[in-house]
Amino acid sequence: MTMPLLEVEGLRVTIDGPAGTLRAVDGVGFSVGRGETLCLVGESGCGKSLTALAAMRLLPRAARMTADRLAFDGLDLTSLPERALADLRGRRMAMIFQDPMTALNPVHTVGDQLVEVFDRHRLGSRAEGRDRAVRLLERTGVRPAAERMGQYPHQLSGGLRQRVMIAMALMGDPELLIADEPTTALDVTIQAQILRLLRELQREFALGLLLITHNLGIVARVADRVAVMYAGRVVETGTPSEVLGDPRHPYTRGLLSCLPGAGRGPRGSRLGAIPGVVPSLVGPVDGCLFRNRCGEAEADCATTAAEAPRTLAPGRIVRCLKAGVTA
Amino acid sequence: MTKAPLLACRDVVRTFAVRRGLFGRKRSLLAVDGVTLSVERGQVLALVGESGSGKTTLARMLLGLVPPSAGTILFDGEPLDAVDRRVLTRRVQPVFQDPYSSLNPRRTVARIVAFPLEIHGIGTADERRRRVADLLDMVGLPARVTHSHPHQLSGGQRQRVAIARALAINPDLLICDEPTSALDISVQAQILNLLQSLRADLGLTYVLISHDLAVVDHMADRVAVMYLGRIVEEGPAERVLRAPRHPYTRALLASELTPDPTLGLPDPGLSGEFPDPLDPPAGCRFHPRCPMASDVCRREPPAVRTDGDGRAECHFAA
Ligand SMILES: Nc1ncnc2c1ncn2[C@@H]1O[C@H](COP(=O)(O)OP(=O)(O)OP(=O)(O)O)[C@@H](O)[C@H]1O
Ligand SMILES: Nc1ncnc2c1ncn2[C@@H]1O[C@H](COP(=O)(O)OP(=O)(O)OP(=O)(O)O)[C@@H](O)[C@H]1O
Ligand SMILES: [Mg+2]
Ligand SMILES: [Mg+2]
Repeated sequence: MTMPLLEVEGLRVTIDGPAGTLRAVDGVGFSVGRGETLCLVGESGCGKSLTALAAMRLLPRAARMTADRLAFDGLDLTSLPERALADLRGRRMAMIFQDPMTALNPVHTVGDQLVEVFDRHRLGSRAEGRDRAVRLLERTGVRPAAERMGQYPHQLSGGLRQRVMIAMALMGDPELLIADEPTTALDVTIQAQILRLLRELQREFALGLLLITHNLGIVARVADRVAVMYAGRVVETGTPSEVLGDPRHPYTRGLLSCLPGAGRGPRGSRLGAIPGVVPSLVGPVDGCLFRNRCGEAEADCATTAAEAPRTLAPGRIVRCLKAGVTA
Repeated sequence: MTKAPLLACRDVVRTFAVRRGLFGRKRSLLAVDGVTLSVERGQVLALVGESGSGKTTLARMLLGLVPPSAGTILFDGEPLDAVDRRVLTRRVQPVFQDPYSSLNPRRTVARIVAFPLEIHGIGTADERRRRVADLLDMVGLPARVTHSHPHQLSGGQRQRVAIARALAINPDLLICDEPTSALDISVQAQILNLLQSLRADLGLTYVLISHDLAVVDHMADRVAVMYLGRIVEEGPAERVLRAPRHPYTRALLASELTPDPTLGLPDPGLSGEFPDPLDPPAGCRFHPRCPMASDVCRREPPAVRTDGDGRAECHFAA
């Protein structure tokens, strides 16, 4: 078996705050192989972006991280010096940030920012960098590319900005792309086009893709595997047909019931929603963290055993006492 | 009795100057090109369309943040530029597309949400505090974040702060630019349910910009579809989404990703290139990508074809 491109095991991210220590990411594990797409979905605030930032070693200063294993192509990212990390970032592993303004500098033109990636990693001459930038802008539909190169981020629409970020992440021909909600600002025709572009790159260059999205349509259509997160933990993994078609964790089932969609009741009717809120992750926690919102919870769900991962089949892991029982 | 619509715009145009390089020729980018629309009280008008087609620019004009280059906008029957700014901000509130840049990074969540109340001198400090707590609860934010700064929140948490702020002073009209696109679907369901109940209880009117057609279908009474600065189709939601008359609307619907793992990525059947707003095609704007384009489409811009309660700009609209 070939080594996965990105391996994450027992990843923990904590953030100290006035009220105590927040366990934002609490023992997350997954892997992404070459040419593979892993989709990460889950409740807002459950730690998806922090997981992605940890993999890039770009966590905010307030955050502390530990991991049993965090490796890119066999390189231990936890012990790699910052210089070596900087060499990897933007070149072998790139990230499309959820927040366009983190990635785009408001005082530099689009063109300068794209070419800078090229320069930083000495991938070719400035002219070659410009050529590549124009080509990627064309491919992501940021037209007219030559004029767009001279514009500043605030002069672009939300979706254009997002596509500039995608182009920027592709400047260094990465092997691994971590994309945090990369198409939220795009209309569905362009979204389909961008997803097709990513798939072409996967086929051509065996790009590994970690895709964070709350769009279950994207999950269904592009993921090879899915990991569902809740409250800092991965609660269910499997293929899209397994997770969407036969969800075994009550949170996943709740999530699916929230989808607005034709044929699910008249326009404007109330959507299904998961009652209650995520428990506080400040201070010690135990047992299943979904139990306070779960219709099927019982006394045993408060025990540590309740949140132990249960493997139903290879790659099919569920953290629920009743995982074996079909709904 | 006919009452003026809450919001009406007529032939609204907005251009931006763009140049190639530092010394390049200035060219004019038509971001919004002759938009005519009205929004009735208590109604939800959804604005959908191509990324970069001018939706946010139109929203900013409706909010009085950007003046139109031409055309008129009436709010409650009065020209928008004649409406007192304080009155306007009291009655019309935005939820911006980008929650990162629209929240002041130096203020805490509590201050951000209380700010509109303070500006308009509503309530005592104590009442404001309670109102803020209620609002945060309504949008599903944990009390823990009350004293956090925006950078300490996840993307979806920031978006909920923006929604709480917009609701703080009970506006009449909410202009929401992608209000739920940063949210997971369980939080989205909670926010959409909240918007629906506010509408039922307080008669709120919404302009809702969204790329999510399922959300639009769930929320909207009317739908307007934009392409390269123009409204190419507009009508009752049921009609636009079930029996679209414009080929771009049909392409949008065909590109929707339903969560069905047995299906791959859709091909909307749009030929040609992405549009270039600096050099819009002659004739019908959409013709280079349109599967049914013919000679007349390349030559002549289509006239508006009305059909009952709907309109479409296509030579072939039935
Ligand atoms: N810099 C920070 N300081 C303090 N808390 C933070 C910081 N960044 C994130 N958090 C907290 O950590 C938790 C996880 O945040 P994260 O951004 O990973 O969520 P997410 O799953 O990406 O959510 P979303 O879908 O809304 O983007 C949240 O509760 C958030 O408030
Ligand atoms: N301040 C500005 N200066 C120059 N061009 C601008 C400015 N603001 C917007 N534009 C241009 O106007 C066009 C319409 O932008 P707008 O933000 O209204 O699109 P949109 O429909 O909201 O797109 P999206 O769905 O991607 O958010 C784009 O081509 C954009 O680059
Ligand atoms: Mg996030
Ligand atoms: Mg916009």
